Amino acid sequence: MRDNGKFEINIIHLYPDLLNLYGDRGNIACMEKRLEWRGITANVRQCTNKDSDIDLTGADIIFVGGGSDREQEIVCSRLLKMKDELKAYVNSGGVLVAVCGGYQLLGKYYKTALTKIEGLDILDIYTDSGDTRLISNVVLECDRFDMPIVGFENHAGRTYLGEGVTPLGKVLFGNGNTGDSGYEGVIYKNVIATYLHGPLLPKNPQLCDYILARALERKYPGFEGLEPLDDGLEELANKYIVGKYVGKA
Amino acid sequence: MSAIRKLIAVWAAKAASVAGRIVGKKSSSSPGVLALKICPNLISLLAKNVTKGVIVTCGTNGKTTTNNLLNSSLKKYGFTTVCNTLGANMIGGIATAFAQACNIFGAFKADYAVLEVDEASARRVFKHIKPNYMLITNLFRDQLDRYGEIDITVDLLNEAIDMADGVKLILNGDDPLTARFGEGRDAVYFGISEQVLPPSDETKEGRFCLKCGEEQEYNYFHYSQLGDYYCPHCGNKRPEIDFAATDVDLSESMKFTVRGKRIDVNYRGFYNIYNILAVYAALNTIGVKTDNFNEILSDYKPQIGRMELIPMGGKPFILNLAKNPAGFNQAIQTVLLDKRPKDVIVAINDLANDGRDVSWLWDVDFDKLAEANLKQLITTGIRMYDISLRFKYADVKFDLITEDMKFALSRCFNNKEAEVCYVLVNYTALYPTQTAMLEYQKEVGAALPPSESNRNGGALSAG
Repeated sequence: MRDNGKFEINIIHLYPDLLNLYGDRGNIACMEKRLEWRGITANVRQCTNKDSDIDLTGADIIFVGGGSDREQEIVCSRLLKMKDELKAYVNSGGVLVAVCGGYQLLGKYYKTALTKIEGLDILDIYTDSGDTRLISNVVLECDRFDMPIVGFENHAGRTYLGEGVTPLGKVLFGNGNTGDSGYEGVIYKNVIATYLHGPLLPKNPQLCDYILARALERKYPGFEGLEPLDDGLEELANKYIVGKYVGKA
Repeated sequence: MSAIRKLIAVWAAKAASVAGRIVGKKSSSSPGVLALKICPNLISLLAKNVTKGVIVTCGTNGKTTTNNLLNSSLKKYGFTTVCNTLGANMIGGIATAFAQACNIFGAFKADYAVLEVDEASARRVFKHIKPNYMLITNLFRDQLDRYGEIDITVDLLNEAIDMADGVKLILNGDDPLTARFGEGRDAVYFGISEQVLPPSDETKEGRFCLKCGEEQEYNYFHYSQLGDYYCPHCGNKRPEIDFAATDVDLSESMKFTVRGKRIDVNYRGFYNIYNILAVYAALNTIGVKTDNFNEILSDYKPQIGRMELIPMGGKPFILNLAKNPAGFNQAIQTVLLDKRPKDVIVAINDLANDGRDVSWLWDVDFDKLAEANLKQLITTGIRMYDISLRFKYADVKFDLITEDMKFALSRCFNNKEAEVCYVLVNYTALYPTQTAMLEYQKEVGAALPPSESNRNGGALSAG
């Protein structure tokens, strides 16, 4: 193995106490382990509702998960206070991974039957709530990776994409952003935002490594790329979902 | 006309149950579904034969155990009951229970209907039969793709309760989500009124105040979101507890005191305190005298897969069902209390009744199994790769992934290093696993020293 000892990645997990539905903490474990297995130090910092101020200094990857509507509103009001800071982070190529509720709050707004929650306006998207929940296993085709992306969606929101962003993948099975657009998630600069739980990263090791590589390149210019790991088990778990819902490749 | 329809529906359900048993199907829901097709108002017609009251049990965990224990207690105290003991808790299962209670003339008499009802089905069921008493055990994350989020379950139950005029609620006061159903309604509360377990950092479900959204604090905390909670911001707090467990002692058997009565039973698992408290509170609220309660608890035979002992050639194999993070965390805690060198088999399915989404596996503290004196860890079930991946990223070494439960059992049976084997399964894995275990038991024999049988006898589970 190459000497990766000099590399170090700081992961900030935003509000795991509020946004912690559907095993999203597995994404943090996945990033942490895949760095560790390559000899790269991973520092995970949890920023909770108890922290009065959240300091993004030194952040290499920021993760924000999903929660119930009630808890999402609390997070939104907290994050709006650091809107400019987050925007600057994204514009400078900072890596941000957002799932479900976290995805919605990066947009312009999230409108429910009762209220309209103002978003962080980092992504050119907006979300309206639909009458039904879109609940399904999901398989996506994504140009960047040979392995399809698999996950599980459970959302009432319908997220509409503006000109400035591209979808994460094309829906081969499941509903996706709106149920009829044929696409799921968003990729914008180094932001990956999606409705997919599962959790997202363990069964999609290529996506996880893509995220880690972006963070390492940004921090260490000239970074040579990640060495491969033995992903036999990850591939079996991924293939099971693809085979069941899309058919064997 | 409706009398004839009723009779035909009862016969059809009875015939379907017999046919189901002959072909070895254990579903107790489909005969009732068939009967309701023939006679849509069958349940309300038959409910008229219940003379003293209808008791409904809802809640995520422990509802089958609580409901069956309540039913068997009422029977021991001399009452006649109708009860969906097999845990089929949607409308079909309830119709089956009523049809089964009938004689061939479509008639029966019962003092009480004791019904376990699925939270999402409660509104549908209450259109046919209104409870006089409703017991809610707790609300945890469960089968999320069916229920959406826990807030939706709360809304569904609130609507159901409002349909049942004059209902008396029996609620877990340690659970902020459950206790809130009692606000402005006629309710009694049960709870555990002292610190019992060591502190844990597990995921808390409802840790934010339901009134103001600020973070709640706990004077003491049991598990998930259960404990003596209060909100420092708005003053919302745990209600006054009517049936409080104190002087809890889990060192050998399970002992605690409620309203001056000392409970002493040979059950395992902290969560069983709640199951017993709930039954005790229900009996008192209904107005049934609780004499000889300890004997009644000891006589109770739990349903399958609740820390069920299935000995294999002198070696204890213990089968346990858990359906969600709270249930699995409690099972893992019970495994950790057993210090013997052990094998563990985990079987995870993702059929409709399990919930198609298995992301909850990542909310279970599986990493704690690393300290369980494990000799072998085997994964199986439809989602065997997912559960294996969970162990991989938790740094817990697993030894084998196999589709074949019998092979897994033989590996554990032949492992001389382990003295006991725990088989942890989720919902639809339960029956096939139990069948495989009983078949394997036939091959190798049962034979277990009597001390071991006593130790495991009467164990209940949170499932």
